[in-house]
Amino acid sequence: MAQFRSDCEGFARRDFLKIGAAGIFGLSLPQLLQLEARANQPARGQQNRRATSVILVWLAGGPATIDMWDIRPNAPENIRGEFREIPTTAEGIRISEHLPRMAQVMDRTTVVRSLAHTIPSHGPATVFMTTGNKPTPAVQYPSIGSLTARMLPAAPGVPPFVSFTELRNGTAGLAGYLGTGYNPFIVEGAGAAPANNRGPIAANLRVRGITLPTGFTLEQLENRDRLLRSFDRTFEAADRNADLVDGLDAFHRQALDILRSDHTRNAFNLQQEPEALRSRYGTTAFGQGALAARRLIEAGVRFVTISIGGWDTHGQNFNALRTRQLPPLDQVLSALIADLDGRGMLDNTIVYCAGEFGRTPRINQNSGRDHWARSMSVVLAGGGFRRGYVHGSTDVQGMAPATDPCTPDDVAATIFNQLGIDPHQELMTPTGRPMQLFREGRVLNRLLA
Amino acid sequence: MIAASRAFRFGLLSIAVVVGSFSSSVSAGVDLPGNKKVEEVDFERHIMGLFGRMGCNSGSCHGSFQGKGGFRLSLFGYEPERDFGSVIRDNLGRRISISDPDGSLLLLKATGQVDHGGGMRFLKNSWQYKIFREWIERGAPWQKGSGEVVKVTLNPPEIAFKKAGEAQQVQVMASFADGSQDDITAFADFRTNDDAVADVSNLGIVKSLRPGSTSIVVTYRGNVLPVRILVPMELPVGFQYPKVPENSFIDRLVFERLRQLNMVPSELSNDEEFLRRVTIDTIGQLPTPEEVRAFLADKSPDKRAKKIDELLAHPLHAALWATKFSDITGNDTPSLENPPQQKAKKSQMWHDWFRKRIADNMPYDEIVRGVLCATSRDGQETPEQWIEVVKKIDNDAAKGVSNDYADRPSLDLYWRRQQAQTVELWGERTAAAFMGVRLECAQCHKHPFDRWSQEEYRAYANIFGAVTLGASPEAKKVINDENAERKKSAPKNNNQIAIVREVFIGPTARSLPHPESGRPLTPRALGGPEIPFQRGQDMRETLFQWLRKPDNPFFARSFVNRIWGHYLGIGLVHPVDDFSLANPPSNDKLLAALAKEFADHHYDIRHIERLVLNSRVYQLSSKSNETNKLDKNNYARSYVRPMMAEAVVDVLNCALGVSERFGNDVKPGAKAVEVGATTLQNPSLTYAFRIFGRPPRTTACDCERAMEPALPQKLYLMTDPILLGKFNEQDGRLQSLLRSKKSEDEILEEMFLATLSRLPSAQDRESFAEYRRRVPNRREAFTDTLWALINTREFILNH
Repeated sequence: MAQFRSDCEGFARRDFLKIGAAGIFGLSLPQLLQLEARANQPARGQQNRRATSVILVWLAGGPATIDMWDIRPNAPENIRGEFREIPTTAEGIRISEHLPRMAQVMDRTTVVRSLAHTIPSHGPATVFMTTGNKPTPAVQYPSIGSLTARMLPAAPGVPPFVSFTELRNGTAGLAGYLGTGYNPFIVEGAGAAPANNRGPIAANLRVRGITLPTGFTLEQLENRDRLLRSFDRTFEAADRNADLVDGLDAFHRQALDILRSDHTRNAFNLQQEPEALRSRYGTTAFGQGALAARRLIEAGVRFVTISIGGWDTHGQNFNALRTRQLPPLDQVLSALIADLDGRGMLDNTIVYCAGEFGRTPRINQNSGRDHWARSMSVVLAGGGFRRGYVHGSTDVQGMAPATDPCTPDDVAATIFNQLGIDPHQELMTPTGRPMQLFREGRVLNRLLA
Repeated sequence: MIAASRAFRFGLLSIAVVVGSFSSSVSAGVDLPGNKKVEEVDFERHIMGLFGRMGCNSGSCHGSFQGKGGFRLSLFGYEPERDFGSVIRDNLGRRISISDPDGSLLLLKATGQVDHGGGMRFLKNSWQYKIFREWIERGAPWQKGSGEVVKVTLNPPEIAFKKAGEAQQVQVMASFADGSQDDITAFADFRTNDDAVADVSNLGIVKSLRPGSTSIVVTYRGNVLPVRILVPMELPVGFQYPKVPENSFIDRLVFERLRQLNMVPSELSNDEEFLRRVTIDTIGQLPTPEEVRAFLADKSPDKRAKKIDELLAHPLHAALWATKFSDITGNDTPSLENPPQQKAKKSQMWHDWFRKRIADNMPYDEIVRGVLCATSRDGQETPEQWIEVVKKIDNDAAKGVSNDYADRPSLDLYWRRQQAQTVELWGERTAAAFMGVRLECAQCHKHPFDRWSQEEYRAYANIFGAVTLGASPEAKKVINDENAERKKSAPKNNNQIAIVREVFIGPTARSLPHPESGRPLTPRALGGPEIPFQRGQDMRETLFQWLRKPDNPFFARSFVNRIWGHYLGIGLVHPVDDFSLANPPSNDKLLAALAKEFADHHYDIRHIERLVLNSRVYQLSSKSNETNKLDKNNYARSYVRPMMAEAVVDVLNCALGVSERFGNDVKPGAKAVEVGATTLQNPSLTYAFRIFGRPPRTTACDCERAMEPALPQKLYLMTDPILLGKFNEQDGRLQSLLRSKKSEDEILEEMFLATLSRLPSAQDRESFAEYRRRVPNRREAFTDTLWALINTREFILNH
């Protein structure tokens, strides 16, 4: 049913292809060759592909990055907060004393201190940060995971986009105008668990829809499939021409590939990892999820979202960070970066750690911090991002970027640049409107090695 | 700002004159492909035409609001002044060089001799190059208004090919405001709406590729015209086109077209095929095995018509259309008013409101009026009476799942959203819902493939400028009192109370100004009369009166097209809410006849449904024949199509003989087509709805309902633990059959009837017998069989 529909703008690569295929009229041979050559060229930037996959570490609720990556020691007391900063393995970078293990991998990490946007509300801010496009009622933007799934197909038998959580109860992190086929495959048995949840262990984790339920063996599946194919033969006589019938058949075969493949299922078999490594990730659901995420990436998954909640610290911010939030984040994120690096995977895997916004520099009467989108830090590692580098800064009070201000769009554009995808490439919405991937996004070249 | 821009324009004019005076060199004209010639290159007619055709002024290139590489053109070329200024003056005049035309940056870039972000657009010394060069050489003149188009004509206006593999030139002639005519074929843009049927070169040569119908869309400087293309099948020598029975004008008009295409309609569907299809289409369920048996046994000649009447009167038929109306009108649960825990209930009231009206077969125009012209007090009650009704509905809603909302004359929920809504949004939503027109492109620029300008967009949006959500002067006191009471009686620390607000027509109207002049813009119906704001009057009512007129170009057509699209799988205009110049109906006569029938019968929805369902066209088999196998949009056979997400959930439950639990906001025992909210408490259902494409209803677009197959759907049917768990429900189909005394043959028949609505074929019986020999366990064999049946394409598709 995919029809070439009229669109708002027009001159797409497709036009070049069409001219090449059927444009014997009015074009000289050299013109034709030129146009064909152009159509066969990879999209701009694609030759520079650095990374092939992404792990998004999502801090749901909006982390107080001012107490994590951007301590303001010279600010007044009602802003500075309770934490001191410590030196790290990256010269000149200092971070919170409660992230000591992250301090050890800072030489492989990039901190962006000058990110800012304007939406201090959980829902739309989550959409903004996870899509790289400011939300509007007119368009449902796809999450960067869905875009990755669309632009970088995964290997057969492997789902391109896996998420350990349904962001905002399934109202964010989805495929938007790309259509439901690019939604993430959801891992069940995890969820955005409280940070200290030691709950479900990896043995219970499964990706919804890509593994057979307990008691349903592969052999049974093959048997049943044979029976179903014989029943379905009657229908073959029907509308064989319909894309739909063939499409379903193709998906049927793909589904079988996935169910037969043990790559993904195996990713959850953490027992295969050495005990020492497992303990570095820790026993929390978040830690096991991160280790499973690494294994999923190894299996060929393009984009994995893992998440840790509890960051909405309107009250008792410092106590919560010190005891509940920062220790697992510190442990897991540092373990992930070090592990990827140790395996030589960090060069082509981007780790992106962010939440929907930062928190108010000014501390409220409940020792908490409220929503603050006008300044925040995010952390990146791998995939050709510049190691041991801090991008931008905030003013003395941490209220707003002081140097190199940038936006969620810019970071998304930069990540896609590293994936070898032109951030301004256009996709067509179902209404026939061409949309650039990240219309407002600029590639932050200084973030790149 | 305005003054400054005017000064800027005058400045340009004077430059134009000065530059123009350079023109001295001898003009020889430029030869175009196809033995044509441009005698005198004109900026507006030719240069701007090429900017459009070569894609220079598209939104991703120089037409973007920031321009590209310091060069900005008006998007799609609607502003000659701006474009002339950009070419002539910006970049210190280096863009063109009159003394050395070949050294003009414009040409160096476009030919790729100097690095150009947009790559090479044409070769040096190509005809395009010569057009630019000639114009520059002649001093780059611009005569304001020279390219103002009065009319574009196409020759031929439509093409009926004899067969695939032919070619035909379309010539594009423009009449300009100065009275002259010009062949602008080389400067127009051509696209095909279906490149499988016909292709078109960028010089307007159309090639027929394979049998079918489509259109070629020609655009020239904002004018959009379609060329209908018909490519018939090549029939074998001596082929006798058979006589096909006709039940009504629908059959006559469809078969007339098929005749032109040399396509023979498929056979009439058999009874099993018909019953399954019509049951899914009308009520979103499967027929039960008993119903299938009874229908097959019925020998009366009018049993199909009787079945259609029975299904159209079925309560779930109204529920299914309430679901469709919920899509059309944007029943988007999270966007409704706080408190959050009552949003799903409000969505259900919305759904129930439509359901009641469909069940009563209320005329379509009256239903639309209840939405489009809704106010909370419906223009008749006193504030005191009204607040009592509100209190009762809110109370009932808080306690249970039924209330009196559906009895209210108008659907004020449509206008009651938590966040303030702009008039632009209301304009876009109402145009899509009730006219089938997608306006959103025209918010920022003239619609590239339709007639709508920014001015028309804004004038239309202004109709909604007086709609207010709050408290009217008359009702202010009772509303304030009620809200004070609610706050007082709310539990401590609970700010989640329902605040009463009222939709009313305010004493003043918000108004968007004219996009260029900034002057006030009188509200105006789309392509219709002005509707000036008068205090105390509802402009929406005037709009509605214009819409419902039998000769309105959109109102009846857009809704009969939705009905047709629902029952036949593809709209006459497709997508169903994309009526535009570039997207003409596949069968104009049929659409017009259906619309006339609808208006003549006082917008009786069920009358049209009955006509469609009783047509032979609807009842054709989905099995194709040699002549019609390539048909995609002329209804030569029944199209195999996916089911709505809600129907998928219900049909699975029908097959498995189980019911669904939707949570506390929905009455127990409900079917998926009866559910109003887009958010559900049952995560497994939320998942199923999402992967089968239930729309979130956030944008006013039918395209939100994803109807393409996708991998997760297949995986869901094969592996979902909740779904597979239903196999084991004690009262479900599988366990009941296994407990019964039926023979294995009878169980197999029952399973086929419950899933595929037909008896197993001899081949099916043989497949099962063969399987049974290998699987000795009876329970296992039948579990596998039921699994296999719901995983067939025959099961999950409507055909």
